[in-house]
Amino acid sequence: MATAIYLEHYLDSIENLPCELQRNFTLMRDLDNRTEEKKGEIDKLAEEYIANVKNLASEQRVEHLQKIQNAYSKCKEFSDDKVQLAMQTYEMVDKHIRRLDADLARFENELKEKLEVSGYESTEGRTLKKGEMRGLREKRGSRGRGRKGSDEDSPRKKKIKNSPDLSDALLPMQPSDVLDMPVDPNEPTYCLCHQVSYGEMIGCDNPDCPIEWFHFACVDLATKPKGKWFCPRCTQDRKKK
Amino acid sequence: MRKVRRWECKTVVSGLTMGRGRGRGRGRGRGSSGQLRPPSPYRLQLSPSRETLTYAQAQKIVEVDLEGRLHRINITDPLPVITEDEMMAQDIAECNSNKENSEQTQSKTRSWRKPSNSKSRRSSKNTSHQNQRSGSQQHTGSTYSFQHPSHQSPLPEPTFRVLSSVSPSEAPPLPTAYYRYIEKSGEEQDSVAEYDMDEEDLAWLEMVNQKRVSDGHASVPPDTFELLIDRLERESILESRSQALSQSAVDEDAFCCVCLDDECLNSNVILFCDICNLAVHQECYGVPYVPEGQWLCRCCLQSPSRPVDCVLCPNRGGAFKQTSDGRWAHVVCAIWIPEVCFANTVFLEPVEGVKNIPPARWKLTCYLCKQKGRGASIQCHKANCYRAFHVTCAQKAGLFMKIDPVRETGVNGTTFSVKKTAFCEHHSPVGSRRDGSGDESVEGRLVGGRGNRGQRSYTQSPPSPQNKKGTKGQKKKNSKGSGGSTRRSTVPVLLVPQIPSHRLNKICTGVDVQRKNQFMQRLHNYWLLKRQSRNGMPLIRRLHSHLQAHRTAEQREPDEKLSAAREELRYWQKLRQDLERARLLVELIRKRERLKREQMKIQQAALELKLTPALVLLRSTLDQLQEKDAAKIFSQPVNLSEVPDYLEFISQPMDFSTMRTRLDGHAYCSIADLEKDFDLMISNCLKYNSKDTMFHRAALQLREVGGAVLRHAHRQSQSIGLDPSTGMHLPEAPNKHGFYNCTWDDVDSLLDPENRLHLTTDEQLKALLDKLDMVTSMRTSGGRTKRIRLLRREINTLKQKVNQQQQQQQQNAQSVNGKDKEDEGKEEEEEEEEVEEKEKEKRKKKGKSSVDNGPLTAVSNSGPDDSPPVLELTCPVSSPLPGDAPLEPPVLGIVTGGRRSPGRSYKRQRSSRSGSKSQGEDEAEVGETASSQQEAVHEVTPLGTPPAVPLVGVGRRTSVLFKKAKNGARLTKSKSSPQQNGKTPEGKANGLDSTPASPSSPSVNITTLPPTPNASPAPASPSAHHLRSRGQSSEGDADKLPPPPSEEGLTNGKHTSAEHDDDEPNLSVSPPKRSRGKPALAKVPSSENGDISGSGKSTLLSLDSETQLTPLDLVWAKCRGYPSYPAMIVDPDMPQEGLLHNGIPIPVPPVEVLKLGEWRRLEEGEKLFLVLFFDAKRTWQWLPRNKLLSLGMDDTVDKLRLMEGKKPSVRKSVHTAYDRAMVHLNHVRGNLNFTPSTFI
Repeated sequence: MATAIYLEHYLDSIENLPCELQRNFTLMRDLDNRTEEKKGEIDKLAEEYIANVKNLASEQRVEHLQKIQNAYSKCKEFSDDKVQLAMQTYEMVDKHIRRLDADLARFENELKEKLEVSGYESTEGRTLKKGEMRGLREKRGSRGRGRKGSDEDSPRKKKIKNSPDLSDALLPMQPSDVLDMPVDPNEPTYCLCHQVSYGEMIGCDNPDCPIEWFHFACVDLATKPKGKWFCPRCTQDRKKK
Repeated sequence: MRKVRRWECKTVVSGLTMGRGRGRGRGRGRGSSGQLRPPSPYRLQLSPSRETLTYAQAQKIVEVDLEGRLHRINITDPLPVITEDEMMAQDIAECNSNKENSEQTQSKTRSWRKPSNSKSRRSSKNTSHQNQRSGSQQHTGSTYSFQHPSHQSPLPEPTFRVLSSVSPSEAPPLPTAYYRYIEKSGEEQDSVAEYDMDEEDLAWLEMVNQKRVSDGHASVPPDTFELLIDRLERESILESRSQALSQSAVDEDAFCCVCLDDECLNSNVILFCDICNLAVHQECYGVPYVPEGQWLCRCCLQSPSRPVDCVLCPNRGGAFKQTSDGRWAHVVCAIWIPEVCFANTVFLEPVEGVKNIPPARWKLTCYLCKQKGRGASIQCHKANCYRAFHVTCAQKAGLFMKIDPVRETGVNGTTFSVKKTAFCEHHSPVGSRRDGSGDESVEGRLVGGRGNRGQRSYTQSPPSPQNKKGTKGQKKKNSKGSGGSTRRSTVPVLLVPQIPSHRLNKICTGVDVQRKNQFMQRLHNYWLLKRQSRNGMPLIRRLHSHLQAHRTAEQREPDEKLSAAREELRYWQKLRQDLERARLLVELIRKRERLKREQMKIQQAALELKLTPALVLLRSTLDQLQEKDAAKIFSQPVNLSEVPDYLEFISQPMDFSTMRTRLDGHAYCSIADLEKDFDLMISNCLKYNSKDTMFHRAALQLREVGGAVLRHAHRQSQSIGLDPSTGMHLPEAPNKHGFYNCTWDDVDSLLDPENRLHLTTDEQLKALLDKLDMVTSMRTSGGRTKRIRLLRREINTLKQKVNQQQQQQQQNAQSVNGKDKEDEGKEEEEEEEEVEEKEKEKRKKKGKSSVDNGPLTAVSNSGPDDSPPVLELTCPVSSPLPGDAPLEPPVLGIVTGGRRSPGRSYKRQRSSRSGSKSQGEDEAEVGETASSQQEAVHEVTPLGTPPAVPLVGVGRRTSVLFKKAKNGARLTKSKSSPQQNGKTPEGKANGLDSTPASPSSPSVNITTLPPTPNASPAPASPSAHHLRSRGQSSEGDADKLPPPPSEEGLTNGKHTSAEHDDDEPNLSVSPPKRSRGKPALAKVPSSENGDISGSGKSTLLSLDSETQLTPLDLVWAKCRGYPSYPAMIVDPDMPQEGLLHNGIPIPVPPVEVLKLGEWRRLEEGEKLFLVLFFDAKRTWQWLPRNKLLSLGMDDTVDKLRLMEGKKPSVRKSVHTAYDRAMVHLNHVRGNLNFTPSTFI
């Protein structure tokens, strides 16, 4: 069966993903290394400061501390870059996933349509036959098939559907496949409950929220609230401020 | 060897529980190798009859039938284990010896679980159900032995011998890789003829060729024959494919028409007759092996064109078998009628014993179909019930028919058979009727409750043609049975597709045969026959399966597509999953990086704490300090362009931003350094700004708050242990001196003045403050609030003392200017608080209750007075001021809330007062009605200290302010005044305490504005209100000015204040500018209207805070619990006959009111004004000065008052009253064109 052209395109597009991922990860690693270096530097500076602080004039102290400060701001920059990179990467993968989802949905739809068409044809043929054979042939045919099918395996089981409905056959496959998705023990956890994400989630509008995502149920939501939403913790913090 | 076999058999027996087969015969031995041999039926009858065993015995014994002999093995017997090699050898031997049974070996095993072989179950006793299958297997065996004693034609017995000499030739084992099957592609296979001739074909071809040769034609070579057959086959496949396109779904509801069960096991499938669509179980119909190709039921096979009738019942349809005499009978009938049995219990045919049926049975009348003499009936098994019914009728009617396997132990051993029970509908066991298809399979065959099924299976055979029609029509709804019967009669067995002649021609193209057509016809016919003889099976296997595949493919094509699509979908889904995993991973990374970033920040903070803990502490302290400066007065350096003269007074400007810079520059090593700058900043402010500016106030406030913060910081730095030189931690932490560990006892002991006698006042103060901080940091409790209260009081008294000392010194030194300004400011603060407490104390001591019986105010001040001190003390703590006690040291708490805005009012107040004071008159001083002043007086009095103190301060302050405001022009004047000031209020205060001022003497009048009621509600009510009311009163003063009772001493003051009234609007912008800080704030007064009521009010009100209130003035009077309400001050001493004011009659206060006033005045110890509200009832009230605020002097003030009410109804009543007041005012003034609605 010819794969839909868009799926081919998708394959093309995804080809670069690993490379990009790798690139981003190496970049992050790079930044990480540099951060570590800076940290070492800072440690040294701090030691130095502690050793000499008695002899330093206030200006020198300021200068020294400034150095440390600068190193830290560099580190922070790196960290920010890393976070940015990670977010970018996430976006990238996410984009691919979303596209794939869309394509898959399309593909499935097309498939179903096709199957329905063919199903329609076959029923047509069947009714034609029915006219002649008064429905008996029908049985026989299936019977024969069932029996002949039994040649290689076992005799036909009546309860087993030999010609399952096509769309039926397609559909049940998916949930099982979804269930097949192995549970990743490292899956990130979210929410106040520290569970993996499921169902509808809501994101805290505080960009620095440590948790970020919440299950609707855990924050007593049924529908998406309008406007900005802050998680209980951030709301508390904001109130304090 | 034998033992081995036994062992094998045992395994088979256990295997039989799977329902696989009967486990009889020699072939069974192979069960261990997973492939069950079919039973060999021949042997069955040879098996010896068994002795009966008891049930318990039977339980312990495994019976096996080997080579016709019955073996019993006790299950406890040890069985030798045999190796595989030995077994192999044995098996091979067995195989060889078994050749003649090859036919059977192909067949499959069957199990006799179905009730079909009824005979075998008859007359047996029940075995336990625990092992029903094996049980039934066993008893079937036994039934055979019972069954066929009269068997006439024993089937041939296979003979064999074991060839011990033959041993299998060892084939050298080859790796499996050697064997490879390469399948030919479809095209390849198409090109060659796949068909191989068999003997039949050869014979036929030979015959044909003989004929052809005799006719003088060339004989047809076998190759050609094969090719043609091959092509025919292909053609037929094509044909059949086009024909049999439709393959319907299997009938899911199909049920065996013998047992009416729809169970379908692998070993016992339901077969469908290809013609009549009869559905039967393999076992029920005796079809041990599912045949390839077509399967037809017996009657379709043997009597395809003629419907058959059962000899035993009147019904048609269902599963038939032939009787031994060539007639037909239902399988069910044969099972149920006791005399009838099957000759072959495997194939369940032929039906025997019809002749044995007693005539009585033939004569029975079926109570269901009411037909007599048609077929044999059975009777209800209930003891005394003689109802008879045909088996098929019973099935149709759904009667209870149950077949139980039984095991019977008799003298001759155990018999296994089935017990069949059938009841008429009256005797059917309850619950079993119509219970549908439960799981009867477990407890035997329960036929009852399947009536509908039975109904569908049978039609009545036609006794007369029309009857048949009727029944058929009636049963027509089940297409199965009736359809089957019609089909049977009409449709010949046609399963081989005819190939049209033009096709034949096409087939034989390219084949060189003489007389082609004739030969082709023959060949075709032959082929047809051959196909028919093989049940329509295609002659070429591959094609057959191919056909099969194609058939399915024809409509399975979508299936293939489907599977392909599935494959593809699966692929994509896998991809999706992988991506999902990647996303998860990236999400984790993102989280990690965020955490790392956080960690970095924390690290930085930690390092900062490590390297510069002092700096951190200082910074946080500074932050806290700055936080207290909510108005941001001190946050930036003073703008010198706004106040060019600032540096004239201040040599060392300081502000928070400068402090911060210094802090960052490591200029501060300890809290003390910071404190120094902070104090400098405050003192600068106090120095530059006169006491009544908001800046001054703010500075005082900040000093208080900041003091607490700094104290706290001090303690912290001590407990942390900082090295002042490096600003780092000391090597080891200092001893915690347990600041927070001190107990109530410590506090209490400190509270006792005796215990602190050894300390200087400063030390005492410090200790007290520490304790206060400590106590406030404790958890809230009754004890806490009480002690806080007590501590505050002590602190205040102490401060008082200090101030007094200082003042005395100052007085002695006559040094007016400069340095103690702070102290004064402080005093002022303290005084205010102290007032509250002192007043209360006083009142407490007096034990009086000040009942406020005013008509308008239901509120009484008496409550707290009567209550025990504790209660009273707690109330300020619970005062709802924002930013109050809990967080900050409580000393400040009370003041903080309202302090900021009133600060400004103070400024104004002071300025105006200073104006008057500069004139050097008493009244000016008196004019400072602000409670603080008066309160100070009060406090001082009980302590027995000279009350001059605050007034001295006032004098000095005014002088300073004046210097600034008027460029020092009047400095000298003010300088001269202090002593005077200092003295006068003393007398005044004393006087006012004792004697109510007479309205006629304005100076007294003014001085005696009684602060008492003001002070008492203050703790409970926001201090903002307190301050505001103060402002009000001052406004009242100003208000009073235009129509003053002429007094000689007052004139000066009057003039000045009037002058100030004129000045003020213009000045309002400038004074703040001149003083310190924010221009924005400074401008507030001018653009007041929209401002917050608190600040706006007070600023404006403060304009005339010095003015005096005289009788007949209109005021805003504030009663507790009510908004300010328009009222008129009435002279209580007015003549009883009434008086006219500009022609307007003034109501005379009732005697009770006057009495009350007297009383209250005594009680409160201060001057109260009698006011007459402009409400509908014209109620009277005695109110202190600070509750009054002159009305009609300033639009903004009035508007604010008008909006003061919270509820619309209240506001409305205030409006009305205001209108009345304005009307009155205009009448009084003779100005009649006033429109009251302007303000509404």
